[in-house]
Amino acid sequence: MKRRLWFSLIATVVAVIAALAGNIATSNAPILGLDLQGGLSVILAPEEGATGDDLLVVRDLVRSSLERSGVAEPDVRVQGSNIVVDLPGVKDKEEALRSVSVSGIVELRAVVNFTECSASIPAVSTDETIADGRVLGSDGTITVDGDPADEVTPPVDEESIGFLNDEAKTSFRRSAPDPDAPADSDPVGEAPIDLAPTPTPTIAGAEFLPTLDGGALCAGPSQASGEVFERDSASVQLGQFGQFSVSVDLRADGEDAWNGLATQCFNRLASCPSTGVDTDGSGRPGQIAIVLDGIVQSAPVVNVPVFDGSVSITGSFTQEEADQLSDVLNRGAFPVQVTPQETRTVSASAGGDSLRAAIIAGLIGLALVLAFLVAYYRWLALVIIGGLTVWAMAVYSAAAFVSGATNYALSLAGVTGIIVAIGVTVDSYVVFFERMKDEIRNGRTLRNAAPRSFNSTWRTIWSADLVSIIGALILFSLSVGSVRGFALYLGITTMCDLFVCFFFTRPAVLLIARSKFMVGKRAFGLEVASS
Amino acid sequence: MSRGNQIASSGLGRLFRGQTAVDFYGRRRIGFVIAIVVLLATVGSLFTRGLDLGLDFEGGDAWDIPASEIFGVDEAKAVLEDNGVSTNGARIQRRSSDTTDLITVQIEEVPQDNAVQITNAFAEAAGVETDDVNFSFTSSTWGGEITDKAVRALIIFLIVVSIFISIRFEWRMALAALAAMAHDVLVVVGAYSLFGFEVTPGTVIAFLTILGYSLYDTIVVFDRVRENEGKYAGVRMPYEDIVNISMNQVLMRSINTSISSIIPVISLLLIGSGLLGAVTLREFGLALLIGMISGIYSSIFVATPLLAGLKSNVGRKARRERLTGDNLRAAVIGSGVTGRVGATVGSADGESNAKGASHDDDVKTAAVLEPAGRLLTHPPRPRKKKRR
Repeated sequence: MKRRLWFSLIATVVAVIAALAGNIATSNAPILGLDLQGGLSVILAPEEGATGDDLLVVRDLVRSSLERSGVAEPDVRVQGSNIVVDLPGVKDKEEALRSVSVSGIVELRAVVNFTECSASIPAVSTDETIADGRVLGSDGTITVDGDPADEVTPPVDEESIGFLNDEAKTSFRRSAPDPDAPADSDPVGEAPIDLAPTPTPTIAGAEFLPTLDGGALCAGPSQASGEVFERDSASVQLGQFGQFSVSVDLRADGEDAWNGLATQCFNRLASCPSTGVDTDGSGRPGQIAIVLDGIVQSAPVVNVPVFDGSVSITGSFTQEEADQLSDVLNRGAFPVQVTPQETRTVSASAGGDSLRAAIIAGLIGLALVLAFLVAYYRWLALVIIGGLTVWAMAVYSAAAFVSGATNYALSLAGVTGIIVAIGVTVDSYVVFFERMKDEIRNGRTLRNAAPRSFNSTWRTIWSADLVSIIGALILFSLSVGSVRGFALYLGITTMCDLFVCFFFTRPAVLLIARSKFMVGKRAFGLEVASS
Repeated sequence: MSRGNQIASSGLGRLFRGQTAVDFYGRRRIGFVIAIVVLLATVGSLFTRGLDLGLDFEGGDAWDIPASEIFGVDEAKAVLEDNGVSTNGARIQRRSSDTTDLITVQIEEVPQDNAVQITNAFAEAAGVETDDVNFSFTSSTWGGEITDKAVRALIIFLIVVSIFISIRFEWRMALAALAAMAHDVLVVVGAYSLFGFEVTPGTVIAFLTILGYSLYDTIVVFDRVRENEGKYAGVRMPYEDIVNISMNQVLMRSINTSISSIIPVISLLLIGSGLLGAVTLREFGLALLIGMISGIYSSIFVATPLLAGLKSNVGRKARRERLTGDNLRAAVIGSGVTGRVGATVGSADGESNAKGASHDDDVKTAAVLEPAGRLLTHPPRPRKKKRR
């Protein structure tokens, strides 16, 4: 028992010191927020004719894109006719520019036969998105979410066949809805309502576009933009066979445009001909290319002519690919194109002294708290001093590690939050020692009182801290921006409190209670008798 | 050990030894009245004065002024102060690249005339033409989406915490804890509204910090109530008494923790913003200070009496009057330990008698311990010995 206590005590101290030393050696420090350290600022200029409302929409989209891509707590606002993006913790201008190039108009184009493009020069675009290694499964199948209006939806089990066979580029539709509609034939039956270019041998505006996997597709003219999708509605779903799919909601005013295109493709009109052969040999429906900045992100086959409210894109995506596609669909909602203009460094907004002042004030406050605790608990306060030191080192290491991994910046609010956490941390000791005081006063020896007191204290601390941890987890996973940063630091300080309480304070107090160290010394205003 | 069981003669001494006998429950109306006053003041102030939302929420005016050796952040600040604009909510940053070097000043929206005046003042101070000072409007950075998501997360958090407290303790405690938390947040929001402090994203964080602190403090107190509930399960102790006993037992802990939590915040206020002049810390520190004091107050005077009120209508009917004075004191001392109560009281009694009852305190002690014996003739059921 005694050996285990010593082990826990020493291992904790060694582990925490090692973590701290490791962080210092690699000069891994918590990133400081815009208010404390400044950062880099990028000015995004919108194209001509953008209205104020457009810019506000872009501001929100840019911020959420940044957060999704891992830049935490950016400061995005409209200033004058530009959008100013302030990035904390980014030192490299290239990195800043890359991280803000999040806008882009998403176009929806029909995939046409290669012959249509033969006259045009293939559009060679080497966007960085390719260099980034963003490779998407190029094709997928589109099915409707929920009950479609039309009866030609593939039943669920047909879909599953496709996934079990794991063939990405083929869509499995055994029930061709209209046997009279072979590939490249003229429209039969219900003609598409609008937007259909005349079926001439060469479709105006058709061009080769690179796909993410390095190939190319011949795409017809843009027939709709990403604005047909509800903003921020795209999400990744995990199907029952472990396959990922992306679903996105259609806006009420975008549904017609989307369905116009979908109907053309489903009926294999000349404007969106069949580009492949189904398993049973019949021509499969056409594909819609989702194009961002001239690059085809995905070109799913349309499996139903009319979509009701939402679209689900399935295929053999990896989770990463599905995430990327969902990002693209979300960012497709940019009402105007914005281009990065200039990068500037920004100074700290809270004044350079604020951090120093907060730290000095915090340390003085801490010293006063310790003085008070020493005056009150006398010799036992040694444990508190040791415990708080270990706690502070653990918090620093955890903050440095986490902000390195997630880019969460420590703002002034965070610093003061940590200062408040000192109080909550000290509380664990106060609850513990007050309980011990009661036990000893009622006739128990220190040796006897310590483990009993710890057991009841641990229950209290655990319950109270668990509430904080629940709060931290929920706020972190569901909120954005500085609220998220708050949750992160709340979680870190609370976890460290629990950790130190169990692995440092407990063995330290139990060992002291067993030793002769306290005999005859005063603690809690009581003289400790020998046991 | 020797003096441990005597009843101290001074109030402070009794506090120090955990021998207080404050009838918290009897004074619950004071707490409720104060809480209602606070609620009315906050709601009234919110309706009449509202909250002063800062730059990040409402947007404002922005100037880009060419920086130079004679014009930097401090000079810009001086210009604002000369023109009667509070620099408290202002954001003044130096933005520089290879080709440009600007001071960007953002403040809350001012009337058009003032804006022109400030533009001229900036041009003059920087020694440039008025045309070189770029004036524009700036939008909020805190979009509605952030608020929506934060509110949604908060609501989910409160639901989950209520469930957690209901499982770990009971639903009445969840209700009381949430009431106390709402009380604290209202106090701080009210203070912001009454004093006209500017609400910044930092303030929102301060609100959340207070919210968490309040819940934490309440749960620590409730844990003791819960423990005592089990301890007195055998003697049909009225809930009001259990609450009073628990409150007195945790009083010293509450005071110590409060001191330890509040000292750093006061240090932040006095040293950080006072001596070192970091103004941004002031309102933040003030919000935290008010919130923490309220948090400590509410767990004792709002949450626990409310809990007792909720519980007193349920189940066990009181067979007798609430314990007060020395009877309460005896119970507070008697049950402050784990395990059996009667035995330790007895041995302590003997010890103090052995020392001789000549001292006044000893007489008092004997008087107090005696009813404790009567009260606990039927000893509380010992906790189940599962693992020890």
